[in-house]
Amino acid sequence: MFLKTVFTCLAFLVAGTCLGIEPERSVIQILTYRQSPDWSAPWRFDVVQRAGGSGFVIRGKRIMTNAHVVSWARQIIVRKYQDAKPYAAKVEFVAHDCDLAILTVEDESFFDGLPALGFGDLPKVRSTVITYGYPAGGEEISYTRGVVSRIELSPYSHIGNRRLLTVQTDAAINPGNSGGPVVQDDRVVGVAFQGIKSLEGAGFFIPPQVIQRFLKDIEDKHYDGLPLAGAGIASLQNPAYRALLKLPDNNLGARVDRIRSKTHTKNVLRADDVILKIGEFAVASDATILFQSNRVFCAMGFQLGQSGDSVPVQLWRDGKLQDVTVTLEAAVDDQCEGNQFDVEPRYFVFGGLVFTQLSLDYLRDSGREGSEATAGELNYELFFRNREEPELAREEPVVLSSVLTDAVNANFITRGRVLVDRINGIRIEKVADVIRAFASSTNTHDMIEFGGRGSFETLDHAEAVRANTKILKTYGITQDRHL
Amino acid sequence: MKNHFAIRLLLLIAPLAALAETISTNASTWEKSVVNIEVARKSYDYYQPWNRRSERAAKTGVVVGERQILATAQGLSDQTLVRMQKNGRGKWATASVVWIDYHANLALLTTEDAAFWRDLRPADLTSKPPAEGAKLQIVRWREGKLENRQAEFTQYSVNESVGSAINHVQMELDSEIRDAGSGEPVITDSRVAGITASQLGRTCKVITASFIHSVVDAHKSVSPRVLGYFHFYWQPAENPASLAQLKLSGEPRGVLVINVPERLDGVDSVLKPRDIILNIDGFDLDMQGDYIDPEFGSLTLENLSTRGRWAGDDIKMKIWRDGKPLDVMYRLPGYDFKNSLVPIAVHDQMPDYLIVGGLVFQPLTTPYLQRWGSEWERTAPFRLNHYRSDEATKAKPSLVILSQVLPDKFNIGYQEYRSLVVSQVNGQTVNKLADLQAALKKPKDKFHIIDFVPNESLQRIVLAAGDTEREATQRILKRFGIADDEQITSKSAAGK
Repeated sequence: MFLKTVFTCLAFLVAGTCLGIEPERSVIQILTYRQSPDWSAPWRFDVVQRAGGSGFVIRGKRIMTNAHVVSWARQIIVRKYQDAKPYAAKVEFVAHDCDLAILTVEDESFFDGLPALGFGDLPKVRSTVITYGYPAGGEEISYTRGVVSRIELSPYSHIGNRRLLTVQTDAAINPGNSGGPVVQDDRVVGVAFQGIKSLEGAGFFIPPQVIQRFLKDIEDKHYDGLPLAGAGIASLQNPAYRALLKLPDNNLGARVDRIRSKTHTKNVLRADDVILKIGEFAVASDATILFQSNRVFCAMGFQLGQSGDSVPVQLWRDGKLQDVTVTLEAAVDDQCEGNQFDVEPRYFVFGGLVFTQLSLDYLRDSGREGSEATAGELNYELFFRNREEPELAREEPVVLSSVLTDAVNANFITRGRVLVDRINGIRIEKVADVIRAFASSTNTHDMIEFGGRGSFETLDHAEAVRANTKILKTYGITQDRHL
Repeated sequence: MKNHFAIRLLLLIAPLAALAETISTNASTWEKSVVNIEVARKSYDYYQPWNRRSERAAKTGVVVGERQILATAQGLSDQTLVRMQKNGRGKWATASVVWIDYHANLALLTTEDAAFWRDLRPADLTSKPPAEGAKLQIVRWREGKLENRQAEFTQYSVNESVGSAINHVQMELDSEIRDAGSGEPVITDSRVAGITASQLGRTCKVITASFIHSVVDAHKSVSPRVLGYFHFYWQPAENPASLAQLKLSGEPRGVLVINVPERLDGVDSVLKPRDIILNIDGFDLDMQGDYIDPEFGSLTLENLSTRGRWAGDDIKMKIWRDGKPLDVMYRLPGYDFKNSLVPIAVHDQMPDYLIVGGLVFQPLTTPYLQRWGSEWERTAPFRLNHYRSDEATKAKPSLVILSQVLPDKFNIGYQEYRSLVVSQVNGQTVNKLADLQAALKKPKDKFHIIDFVPNESLQRIVLAAGDTEREATQRILKRFGIADDEQITSKSAAGK
């Protein structure tokens, strides 16, 4: 006990020596000029927009911030505390799945006199934290003090389809605060990143566990991604279900409800397995684990490691205990279901027909145009087909986004916002297939078949080839494809 | 001189008197032909299907024959009491429904109250449809007085019937009248040109006299005929490249068949995707799918499924298939709400449900989705809503959902689950409540295993079977004030 107390004190002293007592000197103002693509006209970009955020200096002459602060940035400018000089920065690593990024500054003198902030541990609920940053409404640094009110897995809105460990605080976190450090005892215990409109006075920050995992992930100079369990885990509290599985009524164990079809997990886990332990964490019947005095959803047990790591899992299967190993895997097959950044949409234009990948971004950018039936079909294809009919799911569903009017396509009834099923008999799994299907055509006409009710259109191949250059020029499209 | 003056005075007065009589006659004609209808009906709460409440609705009817009042079918379902009132005021007579056709949106009412019929006069239905420029009136009783609103004919169009998916020609009018669409007669040249079916803004849609004639005649026959529909999907043939690909030369014409769903009546469809339909029932189709109707002018082809044709009729079609013309006979299927995987309406019955240990199962129907309010098409769960675009098939004629869980210690752990589509129970496929009921009779080792269509919420629930389940169900029914654990209209398909 004595030894432990001394060690803690030493650590504090070392940190204090390293940091000084002015974290604000290491808090950086970030200005970006960003331009995101128009997903329904994928060769085109929206107008350049100015945005602001915060960051802080970490070891190795680098700045940590949120991924959403620097996504789609054409230019990144960083400024030091009470220093008017702008410095150009660039993204070294970005992790959109956990909303974190690392920046470097071209002029390394930027870091002169700026101490790197060190990281602390997960703050305790009811403890006090201070948020540093450059929120909107002023140019100077802002400090807000708040209390940690809740720690649990929550959706990360930047990517939209991931739930990770999140700390909620009543410290105000406003636009511009994003990427700023949340500090406790002069150590960073989080990165401010989001709020919820319906929860006034509540802000959320990314805790040290997520940050440290990200930093470890990029040690090999490559970001692999956040590993997922690859399984849907449900609570197991109904006595009948527990009895069916011959499981003791001891409030332990959560049930594997479903397995993601494209993961290695399907070779290890199966539906109705009962997960009793994930690594060192006992899993309760409500599918939670006790993580540093916080009850959090047990998927957390798979989110601490790196892709490729092995996690021992204790199961209850067929009425017996069983130990298995789950190999962690970064999920990349569901990118289109979430928000995408920094990778321009894939497309191909032929005869004025604009083909692009179906994605959440596409659905949002294309708005509510088109009939409900069409919108419904695209929603089903993107979010439900792979679960309900995995055998019919496509690698990267392709839509006819729009038809750029020309004499060659003027008689088309279908003008866009529809899933492409086949072209010249070739099933379209991805945008590259569209190019192949037109290129391999030996007929005078190309037949394009669509999803839903099965409508189709036909294009005179020779006329389309002849019209292509003119159409691209007319509509200002410099490249007929981006893959 | 005096007499002479008197004669001239009489001559001057006479035409005025004649005119006054004409107006009076016209007004009294419609006063004697238009009646108020009051409907008391049961209204069901599809989220708590064991609940019902009483609703009242007002409609307009028109006397069309001996002791016959014509009305729209809308609002007459689940009726508990229908009353009719003449002269816009006074005594109400209890009415009965002679027949009701929800697909045509028409009904015929009568009453045994002899006094009601006294002074009433049947109106004639016009045999000549009004055309552009026709003067029309919409007539109804309002606060004891006959309201007579002018309306202007705009066009004939083919639309789905209110409350059904069958298509027939309707007359569109522009009028200042408000809150019409409840069967108000539309008058032209002292005859009834139709009755209103709906109103949106200033546009009233009217069921035409010719369609009314046809449906009324069909219901007079010993075995009433059922309206049919075309059970295939088509697209216009406006793209000449598509016609060239299908080897049809000449001017673009006809429509392209794109999808021919399985028929539930067992009849093999004579059409195939990529057929071009050139002519239906003697009418050539243009490339938008329109034909020239002798009565109404240019109309879309769907009208040919109800233009004097009925389910079971063979309709001649000229099609173009594999580069050659072909004559085929298309047997018209009858429309039934159950043709859709998610029926668009349920009439004259309590909503079906089955409660097992607090788990409430219901068929997925449009009335259930409409529980999400006026914006239900946007706010109801997407996946449930999207099933509406699917056709019923023999393998999957309908869907059963877990709509909610009435909380109890028996179902602890499942209380928050809802809107899940059932796929199997105890290993047996479930498409109907009767299937579910049959499957529940065969538990697996004292357990019920309920599987749902793959989703991101929950794919399996297990319940105890036997006495514990029965006790729990009774306990839950008592606590939630529910009289019966089930309401299943048809059990005939169980296990089939």
